[in-house]
Amino acid sequence: MTVRDAAIDLDAPAPVRARRHAVTLGRVALAALLLLAWKISADVAGPLTVADPIKVFERIVADTLSGALVRDTYVTLRLSAIGFALGCGFGVALPFLLRRRPRLTAAVEPYIMASVGIPKYALVPLFILWFGIDDAPKLWLVGLLVFYVVFIAVFAGIRSVDRGLIDMARVAGAGEGAIAREVIWNSLLPFFFAALKIALPRAVSAAIIGEFLVGNEGLGYLIEHSRQNLDTVGVFAGIVVATALVLAINALLVTVDRRVNAWRPIERHMQI
Amino acid sequence: MNAPLIEIRGLAKRFAKRGGRGGRGGREPAPWVIQDLSFSVSAGEFLTIIGPSGAGKTTLLNIIAQIDVASDGEVRFQSEHAPVGDAKALKPGLACRIGYVTQDDHLLPWRTTLQNVLFPLAVQGRLNGSTRARAEMLIRTAGLNGFENHYPHELSGGMRKRAALIRTLVYDPPVILMDEPFGALDAQTRTQLQEDLLRLWNLGKKTIVFVTHDIAEAIALGDRMLVLSRQPSRIAGQHAITIPRPRDVRGIMTDPQFAALYQRVRGELQ
Repeated sequence: MTVRDAAIDLDAPAPVRARRHAVTLGRVALAALLLLAWKISADVAGPLTVADPIKVFERIVADTLSGALVRDTYVTLRLSAIGFALGCGFGVALPFLLRRRPRLTAAVEPYIMASVGIPKYALVPLFILWFGIDDAPKLWLVGLLVFYVVFIAVFAGIRSVDRGLIDMARVAGAGEGAIAREVIWNSLLPFFFAALKIALPRAVSAAIIGEFLVGNEGLGYLIEHSRQNLDTVGVFAGIVVATALVLAINALLVTVDRRVNAWRPIERHMQI
Repeated sequence: MNAPLIEIRGLAKRFAKRGGRGGRGGREPAPWVIQDLSFSVSAGEFLTIIGPSGAGKTTLLNIIAQIDVASDGEVRFQSEHAPVGDAKALKPGLACRIGYVTQDDHLLPWRTTLQNVLFPLAVQGRLNGSTRARAEMLIRTAGLNGFENHYPHELSGGMRKRAALIRTLVYDPPVILMDEPFGALDAQTRTQLQEDLLRLWNLGKKTIVFVTHDIAEAIALGDRMLVLSRQPSRIAGQHAITIPRPRDVRGIMTDPQFAALYQRVRGELQ
C-alpha cells in the first residue's frame, strides 16, 4: 500500500476501507496458496525435480549463517552494480553529447538502432575470448544490456522535451549547461525511471547468466554448481535469493522514484 | 521623442518548408507569415498589438526576443541588429534585456512557485539576499503569498499567469514582451490581472509590447496600438490611445474615446 493510498484510507468511508483490507487479505491468501502449490508439486514430482520449500528455507538460513550465501549475494550484487553504473553512465551521457549535434546524430542513429538487435548473450563467448575469464566479460554483458535500455529511453526523453521550456530558459539567461541540467534532465526523469525499472532487474539477470558461464562465485555460480551436483535444494535456494534481491532493488527504486518525482500531478508509473 | 528602442523595418518571415514526403514535385516555397512589416517602439512605451488569430503575432514576438530568426528585413534593439536568416547567431533574450511572457506560462512543473520565480536569478547567478527579497515582494504584490511552495499544477490558471509574469519582472529587464498572457482566463480574473499589470507597469515604467486579440484589452492597456492584417501580416492601422492614466480598466467602456476607437479597429480587422 502506498503512502497516498494510506492518506486516502483515513478519510474513506467504512465500505471503501473494508474493500481495501479485502485486497490485502487476498494478497496474503494468494501467497499462501502459491506456497502450498509449491509444497504439493514438490511432494508429487519428487525432490530431484522440485525442492521442498521447507528444505529450501532451511538451506537459506543455514548458508546465510555460515556466510557462504552472503558472500555469493555480495559478489552478484557488486557485479550488477558496477556493470549497471557503467551502462547507465554511458546510456545517459551519449544522448546528451549527441543532443547539440543533429547531423552526427542522424548519421549515427541507424547504426545504434541496428546494434540494439544484436543478441547480447550471444556475444559472451567473444567477450571471454577478448577479456579473459575475470569480471571483465561479465561486466561487458551487464553494461551493454543496461546501456541500450537507458540510452533509448534518454534519447527519446530528450526529443520529447517541451521546446517552449527551453526557449523560456534561454530568454531568462540560462546557458547550455543550465538548460541541460535543469530543463532537460528534469523533463526526462520519468523516462529515465521507466528505463531503470527494466534495466535494474536485467542487470542482476545478466550478472547471474554471466556467472553461469564464467567464474566460481556468485549466485549464478551457486545455482549452476548445485545443478551439476544434483542439489535441487541449492538451485531453488539460489533462485529464491536472486528473486528476493531483484524485488528489494525494485522496492528501493519505487521509493526513490516517488521522492524524486513527487512534483508529478499523478502517479503515472507502473508498479512492477 | 528620442530614438526608438526597438525598430523594425521591412520585416519578412516564412518558415522552412516541412520535409514533405511528396517527392520533388511539390517544392514551392512556404507562404509568408509576415511581409514588409515596419514599426518602432520607444522607451517606456506600452504598445499593444492586435490582429486576427494566425496573423503571425507570436512569430513577431519570437523574432524580437530572438528565439526565432527573421527571413528578411531589419530588426534593431538599441543599436544592435538581430541576425537575419542565421538562427545560430541568435541571442535569446538579448542578454536578459528583453523579457518574454509567453502565451503558455511555461512554468517548470518540477519547481514550486517560489523556485520558478527564482529560476532566472539562479541561472543568471544573481541569487542573493536583496534579489530574494524582491522576489518575495513581487509574490506578495501578485497575491501569491501562501502558494510559494505549491507546484504549478496545484495553482489556478490566473495564479500561473501571475507567477509567469513575476518570473519575468523579478530580474527587471527593461523591455517585456507579452503574448496574449491573459487569453485563456475568465473575464473577472482577466480584469484583475490587467489592473495588476498596469499597477506593476506604473512602478517601473518599462517598455511593454503586448499582443492580444481582444480589442478592449488593447485599448485599455496601451499608449498606442497597432492593428495587424491577416497573413501575411502588415500594419492595417495605428492609433494613439489618449485616454488619461491612471485608467479604470473596469469602467473603460464608458469612456467616449473607447467606443469610437473600438468601432474603427473592428473595421480594420475585417
